[in-house]
Amino acid sequence: MRTRGHFRFGFGLALAAAAFVSPLLWLLSLSLKTGPAVYEYPPRIVPAAPSLANYAFVLAKTQVPYYLANSAKVAALATLLTLAIALPAAFVLSRERFPGRGSLIQALMLVQLVSPLILLVPIYGVVSALGLLDSHAGLILVYASVQLPLTVSVLRTFCDAMPRELFEAASLDGATRFGMLWRVALPLLGPGLGSAAIFNLAAYWAEFSLSLVLLDSQEYFTVPVGLFNLQSGYETEWQIVAAAALIALAPVLAAFVALQRYFVAGLTAGAVKG
Amino acid sequence: MTRNVALTGAALLGAWLALASRAEAEDLLTPVRIGPSDAPIHLSMWAQPDYCHLASRQPIADAFDHVFREWAHDRPDVRIDVSVMPALEMHKAKLLLAAANGRMPDVASIVSYWLPLFMAGGHVQALDENWPAGDRADFIPFTIDTLSDAKGHVYGMWHGTDVRVLYYRHDLVPTPPRTWTELIDTATRISKERGMSGYLFNAGRWEAAVFDHLPMFWGQGGELVDTSGRPTFGEAPHRQRMVKVLNFLHETVRSGASPRAVLASNDYRQLSSAAIAGDVAMFLGGNWQVTELRQGLSAEQFALWDIAPIPQAEGGRPTTGSGGWVWVVFAKDPVKRKAATEFIRYVESTRNVGRIMQATGNLPVRRSVYREFAFFREDPFLRKFGQIVETARARPAVAVYPFLSEQLQIAIGAAVDGRKTPEDAVDDAFRAASTRYAELSKPAPPRSGADPIAALPWLVAAVLLVISLRALGPARNALAPWLLPALLLVALFFAYPITELLRLAFTDLTTHGAPYRYTPDSLKSVALDPEFRGMLGVTAVFVSACVILQMAVGLGLALLLDGARRRGMRGTLLARTTVVAAWVVPGVLVGVLWRILLVENRSGILNYALSLFGLGPFPFLSSSGVALAAAIVANVWWGSAFSMILQYAGLLRIPDELHEAADLEGLFGWRRLRLVTLPQIAPFLGLNLALITIATLNTFDLILPLTGGGPARATEVVALAMYRAAFYNLEAGRASAIATVMLTINLALAFVALRIWRRSNPDAAQ
Repeated sequence: MRTRGHFRFGFGLALAAAAFVSPLLWLLSLSLKTGPAVYEYPPRIVPAAPSLANYAFVLAKTQVPYYLANSAKVAALATLLTLAIALPAAFVLSRERFPGRGSLIQALMLVQLVSPLILLVPIYGVVSALGLLDSHAGLILVYASVQLPLTVSVLRTFCDAMPRELFEAASLDGATRFGMLWRVALPLLGPGLGSAAIFNLAAYWAEFSLSLVLLDSQEYFTVPVGLFNLQSGYETEWQIVAAAALIALAPVLAAFVALQRYFVAGLTAGAVKG
Repeated sequence: MTRNVALTGAALLGAWLALASRAEAEDLLTPVRIGPSDAPIHLSMWAQPDYCHLASRQPIADAFDHVFREWAHDRPDVRIDVSVMPALEMHKAKLLLAAANGRMPDVASIVSYWLPLFMAGGHVQALDENWPAGDRADFIPFTIDTLSDAKGHVYGMWHGTDVRVLYYRHDLVPTPPRTWTELIDTATRISKERGMSGYLFNAGRWEAAVFDHLPMFWGQGGELVDTSGRPTFGEAPHRQRMVKVLNFLHETVRSGASPRAVLASNDYRQLSSAAIAGDVAMFLGGNWQVTELRQGLSAEQFALWDIAPIPQAEGGRPTTGSGGWVWVVFAKDPVKRKAATEFIRYVESTRNVGRIMQATGNLPVRRSVYREFAFFREDPFLRKFGQIVETARARPAVAVYPFLSEQLQIAIGAAVDGRKTPEDAVDDAFRAASTRYAELSKPAPPRSGADPIAALPWLVAAVLLVISLRALGPARNALAPWLLPALLLVALFFAYPITELLRLAFTDLTTHGAPYRYTPDSLKSVALDPEFRGMLGVTAVFVSACVILQMAVGLGLALLLDGARRRGMRGTLLARTTVVAAWVVPGVLVGVLWRILLVENRSGILNYALSLFGLGPFPFLSSSGVALAAAIVANVWWGSAFSMILQYAGLLRIPDELHEAADLEGLFGWRRLRLVTLPQIAPFLGLNLALITIATLNTFDLILPLTGGGPARATEVVALAMYRAAFYNLEAGRASAIATVMLTINLALAFVALRIWRRSNPDAAQ
């Protein structure tokens, strides 16, 4: 342990942390202000008369609570669907050797690198042809396809890391392929599935352009589309938007702080190791 | 450990679900429903955010709360599901798409000039069957005439109307200016003497920037379109009139009468909030803003404000613009149609509309309201508005108007900014509008039965699926079930869409699916469009600046964290958490957040912070160069954590011995970075570069709420242009042509990333 640069590193880190957190603090400050305090000069960082009125308004008088429920539902179901489809594929791609394996893996990598935004118009056509426009089912299906390649990559990395001997022993005991996945691999895949789940939940919670295009009825809106709508009228009450934004952010931030180790692990596994 | 993750996740989810679905037990009015949930008649309604019980202005919300509750009490047989739609063009695009898919709401608010679009498809239902002539006679005639067809059927019910006027403080401006020259003289003098804004108006990129200024064009005798709907504003004599308007707008900023911040004004609230902050002497606003001033100002301060007609060119005739939202009924089923008509008649009854209009500050179009509510007879402001509305005109009800407005928004931005002369700005807008008009008035090509080419993308997807299954080799039958669901999804949402995109790029398809032809026009018009080349330039600057800065900031942060980790410092995890927290904020919220930080009036926090150092104020969102820089800063704030994580992962792999050796060699600072660290993490940097470039290229969710692509087109990246083309202007063919360009760039970058990945993982690809 050397002390060289101790202070410099500490100062640098504090500065960085401040730069990243202070915008969020201003959002918090604004959300606690009401009436003329919103536009006062000079602006106060700590509101003179902080009030939770904006939060009460957002929760009681707007559709934001419904957006939260929708986002939670869509993100949870889409994550489950993604994992259910990705896991068997990842398991086979990791364990089995067949002629087209390398090409399939590379094709999946390529797909992972193409942005669904580019395909917005034809994807809208597919969902329309399936009769799933303006429904959560359509959105969940598209979401699962968007995150599928990355999820397969992440899970494959975790499958690769499992010791071969375990499977050899199981196969001597006559276990089927499904038995190996269910009884041998699954108990070991906890961290992998956890990382992939958290990563997917975060991606689905934040997704904007697909839900903007595929949903029409407000009762189905997810948080990002709902909040975008909240600030797109003729006149915007910024303190209300700030409160709504923080309510929408709270679950992600809380989940992230609690689970960030898995989050970071999943991200690096998917993006770096392939 | 796994169980902990699952439990925590489940607990969080449960908590939020519980919060979200709280206590809607037997409330007759919820944010998504009017009436009992089990009522036999079931209607869907697409309402406007400022005209229902979810309005964010409390008095409006309260008024509708009363009206809707009473309705629900009187009519327990009807349940109405409420959707609040975004304002203006997006609402119209959504309605047109819904019409194409047969999913229209039963009742909706629309802008009066959209009515021809929905009458053409036979979607709007006549109201007169359930609306007696005696009651209709109570409405001001233009509200009935505009919404009737030749046979006398009425298709809409007016909400109330509005007018634009000049607001002025009579302590600073004793006599309101009647001409532009007087306006500029007065405003310049006030801004010099008082250090406040002399005159504010909307010049941001939105419809109001055009509609607020059309009266200045009309007042000179200008006409946007002729009687057949053909754009005329770029032809003599109208061109000169439009040039004069743009010249005047440019002059307001050049002379110092108005601050550059007007270029970012895309919200009427920005005008009234400046007035409430005591920061402006005159502004061009709407009648409903009297209510905002009355609520925001003390009685003495409010008494300083008055209104006057919009100033005109020398010799111009006073006029103003009047908007109008109307209720329409789309329900075809007679029972639903009757219930829907009864509902809107209930809302617009004399008693209810009087209450609602007092809250909104808009002008009733029912004569009985003026008789029965003293408020509308006696309020001095309402009396003046009543006189001004006599001179009002509405937007031309032509299909090309939204496009024409978009072009004029860009022209106004460019002329005020000084990037184009008013002449060039008008000519460019006119050229684009005329081209669009010609496209719109082309006869629709006949629908030629089945289109065999349309089956091609499905075929390609199917063939790819079969090839993938064959690639499984001899064990194909055993392995297929494991991979098939994944392969099917990829075929359906990647393989098919990519081929379909290439097909659509060669059509003139509209997003709502009118008949189309195969033509290279979409691709050609994108390739030859100078505006598109401008957007490519904006995108290139945005992407390269974001990528370089994100890589640099990410590397700096990763080095800081790694250094702190190796020194075993406390607080490292906290610092990392803070930085990465920015990255979990959804992109839309980042845009919203930075828009709040960058507010340009005095209460904007960033400008205030800079003013403490004697800097600014900066026109963050109103000046084209600065707005792009602001978008870049916001994006870097958001995205740096991602590259930090990747590069930190790389740094973790550097063995401690290497660090010790470097310490012994006395390598520090830049030399150590260049000779030791960077070579070790080079593959991470390369991959990071490719991934960030792809991600930044294909995003608009941050820019849309931040600037909407403005001022003019200064921040309109290609991704945003593609989205707008497809889902605002409904030009699927053109959007696909733009997307094809994006796809080419994306694929090229993806191959680069794959190469790097293969080189650093030689074993994985076998």
